[in-house]
Amino acid sequence: MADPANDFIRDYQALAQQSWDAWTRQFQQPPAANPFAPPPAPAAGNDMLERTLAGLKGYFDWMQAAASGGAAQPATDWRQQLQQMFGGASQPFAQAFGGIDTAGAEGFSRQWQSWLQAVQRGGFGELSGLQGPTPAFGLNREQQMQQQALATALLESMRASARYQELIQRANAEGMQRLQARLAEPGRQVDSLKGLYDLWVDASEEAYAGIALSDEFRDAYGEMVNTQMRVRQLQQQQTEQMCQQLGVPTRSEVSSLGERLQALRREFRANLADGSADHAGEIMALRRELAALKRRLADRPAVPAVKKRAAAKPAVAVKKAPAKAARKPTSPSKSGSGQRKRK
Amino acid sequence: MQTPLRVDPTQALADIATFQRKLAAGMANLRNMREPEYANTPRELVYSEDKLKVWHFTGHGKATSKTPLLIVYALVNTVWMTDLQADRSMVRNLLEQGEDVYLIDWGYPDGADRWLTLDDYINGYLDRCVDVVRKRHGLDAINLLGICQGGAFSLCYTALHPDKVKNLITMVTPVDFHTPDNMLSHWCRRMDVDLFVDTMGNIPAGLMNYVYLTLKPLRLNQQKYIGMVDILDNPTELENFLRMERWIFDSPDQAGEAFRQFIKDFYQGNKLVKGTLDIGGQSVDLGMITQPVLNIFAEQDHLVPPDASRALGKHVGTTDYTQLAFKGGHIGIYVSGRAQREVPPAIHQWLRQRD
Repeated sequence: MADPANDFIRDYQALAQQSWDAWTRQFQQPPAANPFAPPPAPAAGNDMLERTLAGLKGYFDWMQAAASGGAAQPATDWRQQLQQMFGGASQPFAQAFGGIDTAGAEGFSRQWQSWLQAVQRGGFGELSGLQGPTPAFGLNREQQMQQQALATALLESMRASARYQELIQRANAEGMQRLQARLAEPGRQVDSLKGLYDLWVDASEEAYAGIALSDEFRDAYGEMVNTQMRVRQLQQQQTEQMCQQLGVPTRSEVSSLGERLQALRREFRANLADGSADHAGEIMALRRELAALKRRLADRPAVPAVKKRAAAKPAVAVKKAPAKAARKPTSPSKSGSGQRKRK
Repeated sequence: MQTPLRVDPTQALADIATFQRKLAAGMANLRNMREPEYANTPRELVYSEDKLKVWHFTGHGKATSKTPLLIVYALVNTVWMTDLQADRSMVRNLLEQGEDVYLIDWGYPDGADRWLTLDDYINGYLDRCVDVVRKRHGLDAINLLGICQGGAFSLCYTALHPDKVKNLITMVTPVDFHTPDNMLSHWCRRMDVDLFVDTMGNIPAGLMNYVYLTLKPLRLNQQKYIGMVDILDNPTELENFLRMERWIFDSPDQAGEAFRQFIKDFYQGNKLVKGTLDIGGQSVDLGMITQPVLNIFAEQDHLVPPDASRALGKHVGTTDYTQLAFKGGHIGIYVSGRAQREVPPAIHQWLRQRD
């Protein structure tokens, strides 16, 4: 006879194990470029250098291709010649602006596809959300809902990235048109490959700037960022749940502690400032009181002191009174000591 | 029509061979190149708090100015742009003019700084830094020089603490964030910043750099490095190039809450010029700035368009407002040869007349 309690625990442990496996597989995925994720740790020393310089190879290849079959060959139709150099599928600048973004978008898709596959293997079931939302129920209702939300968010993100890429491609095409227009200007002549390349950069950047400042691009950019963040947020939620099951502190817990700590620091500083203000007021009040007391003392006749000490040192008491009076700036003639100090 | 493409085949092949040769030879130079140092003008630490440090630069001679100058840099990138290399150091140049220079180094925020707000930065850190310098010199008010975002902070600070600022200088400072040529502002207008910060926490420096590179993707990702090949055989120029690369990419993450507020209130809301900005429960009114203001901007600035800075003149309350347009870009205003000749002397002259 089945023991429901033990089955439940066994199932739960199996689920936790599967979740852990899915989690560890995430670390085994090759790093993927994602424009809205921190870049992978830079390679040390010369590896990084070589990777950076590898980017120059595209330019070098283009120069070779342009020299052998393009700019340096006599041709009747220079526009066609230009198209071959900059517009052909094999040339290295076909994805000029999209270079980073395309790689980033691919990386993003790959990363989340890997994630979804891992989650599927991890026991969260089929991702029905990919075919549209369906009702969820039972013990895993919440997980099913989350999976559907994640799948929907992923699709939206891919659509947004595709829309963004369309605009990037438009910038590429307009860049070519601008280059042709520039070359068609009367008297324009290009006599080096570098000169041609620089002209192409100028034309392409102008085209890109025009599109990047359009309302359409603004909306597409915002949508791309927002949808990627939504995917990332849902992924974080699932990761946190796994961590909770495994007893691992989560980022939101640490963040929450940080928020409280910062609030306490603000409160402490505010209290400190208030306290300082109170003390400053208190010190000022005490100083005023002290000054008033001194004035009252100075105004009082010195009779009791004279009486008390009259027998022993009458001469001192008599001398002190004029000395005090001399410190008061009653007349310029009595401020001789001050004048000496100034010297 | 005659073809405009007149590339001589022999010359083209020679260009390719030169490029290849320079690249091959340059690899050896690059491998032997050490991490370039910044100018490291002699300085002393006068205050530190959390990750923040206030440096006092010690020049060769005694400062001739009576009032010290505190430089307030942006949270984005590091402060060493102001002291990049010996012959391209705004700080060193200001010292030679006779200024007494202090600099706030904000440091590199991490998870512990996630909840720092603009109030914490402006009414907290910045105010305490100003107090430290005031106390050291026994002065009620000092001179502030705010750079880029640090300029926006300095404007807020001066409006909120007018008694502590004698003269205010802003450099490449965005004031009106909604000028039509402001690409960064345009891009973030539809961003859900709450979702962004809630998801990312602190904003990674790598992401910030990525966005900056996409402002001019071909020039900054490709053309610049093709140009580098021409200087691979020149150790001095190569070192200068790599130093700049170091500065560009060795940059701090952004504290999440401060980033959220800055994007929402400045970039999206444009509240600084609308007069609706609130920092720590206090309204920021640029009209409260009645001390002398020198506003310096770069005419070819692709990050802070000149019109975004020019707008300041219409909003400050001072009657002593000076504007200086520099022929250069956002970075060139600190490190170009022209900048060395023009900018620090102009700052010093302007301050000396008001010292």
